Amino acid sequence: MEETSDRLNPGITPEFDPKTMRSTKPGLKRLFITTSVLFSFLLGVPFLWKSVEIYRSPLPFHDIDSLSDQIESTPLRFPCNFHAVFVGFPSTDPDNLRSQIQDGINQLTHQNSQCGSCNFSLSVTVQNRDDQCSETLAHSSTTCSYRCGVIKRNVFGVGVDDTVDESLNDVFSGCSEESGKVYSVVVVNKENANGGDEVKAVVGKRRHAWIVGNGLEERYGDMVARVSEIFVKVFMTGGRDEDSIQGEFMPVGSDGRIVLSFSLLNSNPRDWVYDWDFQRIDEALLAPVTKALAPIANISVESQVLYHTPKSSFSSWDKKLQSYIFRTSDLPFFVNSNEWHLDTSAGASGRSKILQFVVYIPSGKECPLLLQLPNGEISKTNGFISPMWGGVIVWNPGNCDKDSESPSRNTISPQDLEQIVEIFLGQFRQLFGFKSEAIYTSGLGTYKILPSERGFTEWELDVLSRKHTCFNLHSCSTTLGSLSRLVRSLPRMIIKDEIGEQVKYSLKAAKLAQSNASLGGYSSSASSSREARSLAENAFFHPSIMSVSYFSYEHCFAVYSPFFLPVAGHVVLAALREWRRYKQEKAKYLTWLTRKKTA
Amino acid sequence: MKILLILGLLLCYSFVSSSGDTTIHTNNWAVLVCTSRFWFNYRHMANTLSLYRTVKRLGIPDERIILMLADDMACNARNEYPAQVFNNENHKLNLYGDNVEVDYRGYEVTVENFLRVLTGRHENAVPRSKRLLSDEGSHILLYMTGHGGDEFLKFQDAEELQSHDLADAVKQMKEKRRFKELMIMVDTCQAATLFNQLQSPGVLAIGSSLKGENSYSHHLDSDIGVSVVDRFTYYTLAFFERLNIYDNASLNSLFRSYDPRLLMSTAYYRTDLYQPHLVELWRPFILIQLTKPSQVKSPIVRAIPRCHSINFPSTMQTSQMMS
Repeated sequence: MEETSDRLNPGITPEFDPKTMRSTKPGLKRLFITTSVLFSFLLGVPFLWKSVEIYRSPLPFHDIDSLSDQIESTPLRFPCNFHAVFVGFPSTDPDNLRSQIQDGINQLTHQNSQCGSCNFSLSVTVQNRDDQCSETLAHSSTTCSYRCGVIKRNVFGVGVDDTVDESLNDVFSGCSEESGKVYSVVVVNKENANGGDEVKAVVGKRRHAWIVGNGLEERYGDMVARVSEIFVKVFMTGGRDEDSIQGEFMPVGSDGRIVLSFSLLNSNPRDWVYDWDFQRIDEALLAPVTKALAPIANISVESQVLYHTPKSSFSSWDKKLQSYIFRTSDLPFFVNSNEWHLDTSAGASGRSKILQFVVYIPSGKECPLLLQLPNGEISKTNGFISPMWGGVIVWNPGNCDKDSESPSRNTISPQDLEQIVEIFLGQFRQLFGFKSEAIYTSGLGTYKILPSERGFTEWELDVLSRKHTCFNLHSCSTTLGSLSRLVRSLPRMIIKDEIGEQVKYSLKAAKLAQSNASLGGYSSSASSSREARSLAENAFFHPSIMSVSYFSYEHCFAVYSPFFLPVAGHVVLAALREWRRYKQEKAKYLTWLTRKKTA
Repeated sequence: MKILLILGLLLCYSFVSSSGDTTIHTNNWAVLVCTSRFWFNYRHMANTLSLYRTVKRLGIPDERIILMLADDMACNARNEYPAQVFNNENHKLNLYGDNVEVDYRGYEVTVENFLRVLTGRHENAVPRSKRLLSDEGSHILLYMTGHGGDEFLKFQDAEELQSHDLADAVKQMKEKRRFKELMIMVDTCQAATLFNQLQSPGVLAIGSSLKGENSYSHHLDSDIGVSVVDRFTYYTLAFFERLNIYDNASLNSLFRSYDPRLLMSTAYYRTDLYQPHLVELWRPFILIQLTKPSQVKSPIVRAIPRCHSINFPSTMQTSQMMS
């Protein structure tokens, strides 16, 4: 019925309910505005993400791991060449001798390849009484072949050891670097009828040693044993105890520098005041030592004179010796750090090692002051060392009476200064792990060791280079390993470019050191290993690696959410609301359209 | 000029330490940190200065002590006794006497600087006196006092050192072999919680109270107007005052001297990370380092005992004036 009435009245529109219908198409403007704002926000998200990205310089973790594995698994060995010359022996088979010596050496090294030991190649030459030679050569090394007959038996035992050393040096100095240095031992059999039975063994200043004796052709076994001992105990390990604790006798700072700080302590300047001409001894006596040790450490020297520096231990008067005695039990209490302001170095950076060498001049009340050793003897050097710290020498002024008037100002005489420097060099050697005596004693006998004016003989420098290369490489690899573990455990820590570069250069230097070592360049491998270690330490101790200052994810969220969350919330909600509204209006419009159609 | 090596004997003993690892004990260090500021925290400053004095008396020199004081009580405007800091109301001992060397003062005492000292990551320009230059043979005493809570220690009333930060720093120190043995002593409320995350071997930790307990001050000085010392530190100092540099005491005796009734909290010590020496009597490294050297040539230097007698209260039954 309604339909009819509707058709009869065309002017009447269909029922219009504004709540569910709308007559015009809903506009898109509002939706467009809100979604465009939302879209621009979304566009900005990648930029925000990029801006909070942590910059981490890529570290070569794989290379670091492989370096440490390499160093752990294969201890570094250096090529050395051993050459034994037997002079004055009847023609013997050198191959036999060679195998005997080789067995002896292997026995002494127990086949344990410790880091820094020698991958040796042995050659033996026998020169008989008529100066004819028969020799075995480990490999065809033509530059180092020994010219027969050059060594004359009459040189030995006649002159002073130093002249013998010089003459031997002329013989063996022709060897140039091939793969490693050549160490030679000359065994001389003299035919002195009235000579005694004693066998003298001397180790020279360069890389040769000699044994002289009578009737040695009877005692081949003995000679072979002594030759092997010289090769292993002296040339390979430097006369040091093999079980010396690693690191205790390596006083090189982690930046490869040592600062030698010399102090002259006037304990009571009211009694007397002493001064010294340090410049002179620095130039004349210390400079050669510094230069000799250049591949191992960059050494700088400084000196100071201090006043009013009493010691903190006590000494007792000994009537028999007519002097004041302090004992070894007093030594830990000797250094009075409260009043001895030794550590005032201006030149040492944070990671250098400072070695303090102190010359202590006792006061008038304790003059002369002597050190008594546990066995009751009086120490001839009147000094002591402390590993990794330095050494102290007590120097007594020649005349212990003091003037009751003004204190005398004196300068230490050059001769006394020379003696003091000699003791310093002995202490310096001890700080590096060498013995300060000039004799090496073993079960087979004693060997006299000739000292060098540079403080260290060449073979000792070789030993130092090898040991320090080992230590530096080991330290470098552990440092880099620690650094890589640390970096991997903190994924949001900033790693600067500088650190990445230092790690890269450190790895490069370590590889260079290893290749130099395999080629036999002891000092070059020592200096590149030193560089590797110092770069690794710089990278590890870089001040930017502080765990407090890295941004964890929670931190990042907590920083940015107060800015973006409220605004983003509003924008998203607005867009959603507009979208919903649009859909509603669209539905209303569609309803109206269908209504109109059906009407 | 030719130089001959001296034939005379230079002393050279090499001792192998009897502890588990093979490094020898070379030197001793102390890092003493006071983390509180403001006048009413006078007692924390006095704690740290008393320990500084004790440590110096028993032989560690200034160049191996890092002293961090967060505020200046001696020259505070409210201090009735200017340039003097006391830890007892009898005022017999001025802790701020001559020869106090403060390495980090005032606002320099921050968590970041503290962690930099421990881990060794300084800027290049930081002088040697502000660095912890220990090596693998060092024994280090780390003493911290201030206000703390569950797994944190408050620095300067503005930031916190959390237990995982401390554990992390100690771990890095151990990796880099910056100590042989480390003894951490903390005198704050709930001090034991600060050690919860420690894992590195060779660390001995002593805290003044357990979780949920407070650490109390010892007595109030009515003249100065604030409490002048904390209980844990007071009894620790009483123990050390009985020693001199030639003595040989053990950690056990230190622990036994703590009486929970007097402390009003339970002193806690954590020894599971610490490998005791093979010596039967359980010797603490700190007391060895402070009183007896382990070997002849170590540079464990000793100070001459002070001329005046140590005027610490001789009886432990000082009246507990707790207002």
